[in-house]
Amino acid sequence: MTLEDLELRLGDPLDPANPLGQQEVLAADERGELLAAGERMLADYGLNAEFVPTELGGRLDRADRLAHGLRAVFRRDAALGIGYGVTSFISAVPVWTSGDAEQRRWMADLLLSGRRAAAGYTELAHGADFSRIETAAVARGGGLHLSGGKQLVNNVGRAEAVLLFARTDDAPGSRSHSHLLLDLRQAPPDRFRILPRFHTSGVRGCLLAGIEFQDCPVPAGAVVGELGGAMETVLRAFQVTRSVLPGMMIGVLDTQLRTVLRFARKRQLYGRSVADIPHARSVLVGAFLDLLICDSLATVAARALHLHPEQTSVLAAAVKYLVPKLMQDAAQQLATLLGARSFLRDGPYGIFQKHARDLPVVSLAHASSAVCLASIIAQLPRLAQRGWTAPVPPDPVLFRFADPLPPLVIDRLGLTTRGEDSLMGVLATEQELPGLTAGLRKALADLRERCVDLRPRERTVVAGRPSFELAERYAFLAAAAAAVGVWRAQDGFLGDTPWITGALHRLADRLGLDCGPMPDGVREAVLAELLDRHDRNLSFDLIRRRLA
Amino acid sequence: MPTPELMAELDERLGDPHDPATALSYARCAQLDARDEFPAEACRLLDGLGLPAYYAPAAHGGALARYEDLLGIIRILARRDFTVALAHCKTYLGSVAVWMGGTAEQAAALGRRVTGGAVVSLALTESAHGSDLLAGELTATVDGDGYRLDGEKWLINNATRADLVCVLARTDPAGGPRGFSLFLVDKRALAASEFSCLPRVRTHGVRGADISGVAFHGAPVPGAALVGTLGGGLELAMKSLQVTRALVPGMSLGMADHALRLAVGFAFGHRMYERRLADLPHAARTLAEAYADLLTCEAVSLVTTRSIQALPGELSIGSAVVKYLVPTVIDQVVGRLGQVLGARALLTEAFEHGRFQKLERDHRIVGIFDGNTVVNLGALINQFPILARSYRRGRVDAAGLDAASTLDAALKALDRDRLSLLAREGSSVLAGLADSVARLNAMAAAGRAPGAVAALADDVLAVTERLHQQLAEHRPTPRDVPASAFDLAQRYTLCYAAAACVRLWLANQEAFVADPLWVDATWLEAALVRLLRRLDPAAVRDDGPALDRLAGPLADQYRDGSMFSLLPCRLSEKKT
Repeated sequence: MTLEDLELRLGDPLDPANPLGQQEVLAADERGELLAAGERMLADYGLNAEFVPTELGGRLDRADRLAHGLRAVFRRDAALGIGYGVTSFISAVPVWTSGDAEQRRWMADLLLSGRRAAAGYTELAHGADFSRIETAAVARGGGLHLSGGKQLVNNVGRAEAVLLFARTDDAPGSRSHSHLLLDLRQAPPDRFRILPRFHTSGVRGCLLAGIEFQDCPVPAGAVVGELGGAMETVLRAFQVTRSVLPGMMIGVLDTQLRTVLRFARKRQLYGRSVADIPHARSVLVGAFLDLLICDSLATVAARALHLHPEQTSVLAAAVKYLVPKLMQDAAQQLATLLGARSFLRDGPYGIFQKHARDLPVVSLAHASSAVCLASIIAQLPRLAQRGWTAPVPPDPVLFRFADPLPPLVIDRLGLTTRGEDSLMGVLATEQELPGLTAGLRKALADLRERCVDLRPRERTVVAGRPSFELAERYAFLAAAAAAVGVWRAQDGFLGDTPWITGALHRLADRLGLDCGPMPDGVREAVLAELLDRHDRNLSFDLIRRRLA
Repeated sequence: MPTPELMAELDERLGDPHDPATALSYARCAQLDARDEFPAEACRLLDGLGLPAYYAPAAHGGALARYEDLLGIIRILARRDFTVALAHCKTYLGSVAVWMGGTAEQAAALGRRVTGGAVVSLALTESAHGSDLLAGELTATVDGDGYRLDGEKWLINNATRADLVCVLARTDPAGGPRGFSLFLVDKRALAASEFSCLPRVRTHGVRGADISGVAFHGAPVPGAALVGTLGGGLELAMKSLQVTRALVPGMSLGMADHALRLAVGFAFGHRMYERRLADLPHAARTLAEAYADLLTCEAVSLVTTRSIQALPGELSIGSAVVKYLVPTVIDQVVGRLGQVLGARALLTEAFEHGRFQKLERDHRIVGIFDGNTVVNLGALINQFPILARSYRRGRVDAAGLDAASTLDAALKALDRDRLSLLAREGSSVLAGLADSVARLNAMAAAGRAPGAVAALADDVLAVTERLHQQLAEHRPTPRDVPASAFDLAQRYTLCYAAAACVRLWLANQEAFVADPLWVDATWLEAALVRLLRRLDPAAVRDDGPALDRLAGPLADQYRDGSMFSLLPCRLSEKKT
């Protein structure tokens, strides 16, 4: 089984006879159902094996490949990506991170047999504030008893297992929560119930529901990792999921761009095709560049999990913040080209509005932008004091996608970066593209200056807006560094200057730097690549995969 | 009755939106949306309230004497439910060409129909051509004393429901700018075989709306159906759209109020990290920014809508500015408020009837219909040479500008003959900026306005000066308009908004001496800070204090159930 195989099985999206084509995807969305044929295909393909480490019999050996592989599913239907599989992955990673051998084996077997695990973190009343989680397990008569409810849990009504984030100690602080892995088939049916489904504006087929426990006995082996260790586990496990998920989501923007490009090349306006109008071209090129920026950051972060595990705590948050943001902005720009068609649920471009509805839901899933920025903020002063003064450039393998990677060892992921930031070393040393990289270096120096003495209150979740803006600036600069690294290491189009010039221009713009107008020829060269990929049915991301 | 009172009275008569027994309740509107169902009962209610009278000018038997009344009505309806607002108010869009170009007899006859509740629809676009109206294929051919229509129009709001449709038809086979004419077609007078309604399309937002099309099969229309001159259809349509585009912001303002009310209500009640969400600085700032943006949009909309009567010759500028800027900004506002609500912004049933996700979907269409972003920025780009020239000369229609910006000034009836495709004398709003800034500085020197606000206005003026130099350097290229021209046009809309804000504050601040939004130019400072941040980020060192000062008025307007607005307007919504 290869991921190429997955693309082939998905088939031609525009073929009306394809049971996994856009038409069927849209119809399922209208019905508020997951595409059944899609679920069957993914089961048959054995998608869950992608989530299980190779040493446990699965196919998970590289975080970047996982993101690239699942991207094919998201390109077709984000609801299917989330609804079939991704939440199983989110609930499995803490088990890989801190579970004992038996728990790991059990979870691996569960997934490899095609079953599902649900990730029970969210309590709607408390959102991102994990410290106020009310679902609690109390010790009584030698065992734990669980009470409380979780909401918006994908698949919980049909999952065989659920991983719960629960309070196990009344004391405040970070050692009061534990992960509990429950086999819902074995749990006493009178002690828990599945609450009604939550309906959402996007990924309408996903089966989000609530689960409520009432004094439910928890079997002895259910605590994953140390009692009270869940906060720490989450800090590691979420680095993996927050790096990988946005990398999958990039498939959504690929389809958005492809849909609008198809329209723009076909549609005649004022006596020529829309794709020949300069303004339209500039929007198309902008979306393509944003997609490449997103993939540079996401791919580099996923590879960094292997290569620089001590540094990814900040990078993962930057990915989870910036990739969804850039994608939503790009989709909005693309909608202006598609015009009224961006608003129609039927017809050849109806898929656009579906993806536009899916994007915000997928973006919010597994950490809001505020949560991601807040986790960056906490580390800004250390980064400013150490990482950005004389950063040591990263391992060059980070950007050489064909090179093998050391294994992903989640235990080695650092809880904080301790101020290390090798990725920024790329910006510090880049001497070509003088105007652009010098401007970005200056922006980094400014950022450093503003972060180095951030007042203690301004480093927390109650920080003011300026801190959030600093964290956002960090994310833009990290994206710029990732893109430069990719450009340096790659050949062909990605090793050539137009795209990196365009990409850095867009990032510099967002940073409010004045780099002058885009140099002549940049847009044309990037557009030529975009059109060529469209003609040859290749993906718009870094990997340029042949599409079905 | 002043417009805000008219709005409050209308809202009262719509009933409490939290009472599911009322036709315009949140619960009912959500149900209809989920079923893609047309809000027929709500529309009947509005008919019963006599609202259609506002779709016809007073001179033609209606009640429309001030366009800001219509702006306010649209705002109140859109705040409640945009599907209803769109379904009902579109009769004004359908009729407007007759008001702007019809004969007295035509206008009187249509006035009777409209006030009697007839649904009138405007049919410009065709499936294959969208905003390229010159490519329209529907034809009207002379047949005796009248014409025969053949062809179809698509993505037409109310096309199926409409009693009358105002149709743009090709009357010269060669086409061209003088090759099209408008006809007011009475569907009731046609035989069933002469026309057919195209199936309703399913849409992303406004799911209950009748967005469909109409096809004519040799449909005979009398000669008297021609609106305006033969061959004058495109020009008349463009002039008519200037008026309607100046009213579109009412939709965005209404939905922004709805979104902000949901977000503020949630932020006041929800606790995070041991405090109210509204007291988390990041969330509080997002709310203040949204409020500032809403007030900015309101200010530029008020000035522009009043310009329909006060500065009709310049409406080609203001209408394009607000039709681009307001929906674009409010799309962003809604998106950021969604971040405050988090998952609740995406739930279709569990939180407040899914109102947020509905309005977010609904609002997307505002930037699309009746001239999208590209069309409106293009309309400005076409006028760059005039705008640059007139700004340099400092030409201002002082009386017109005063009338447009002084809210209690009486307005003359719209002189439709002054509408013009190009604003031959430029924009008084922008050419008047230098004078406004000088007056603001004089007030600051006399201690009657904060110096900080005058300094911000200085920055706006400097940016505006530079922009107009760039406009002067722009070389017109009708076909290959470079992408950079769109950047300039976007910046122009921001400068225009800033100039409108300064002017509006100056002209009315004495009438609001006890209003915390107006005292010390509180709202103006926040508006300028927000606009400057987009125009020249480096010029804004710290936008915090100006935005923080909005927290009080925001909370006050929320708590006493007033519309989020520069002008006091009580809503009928009961606290939940």
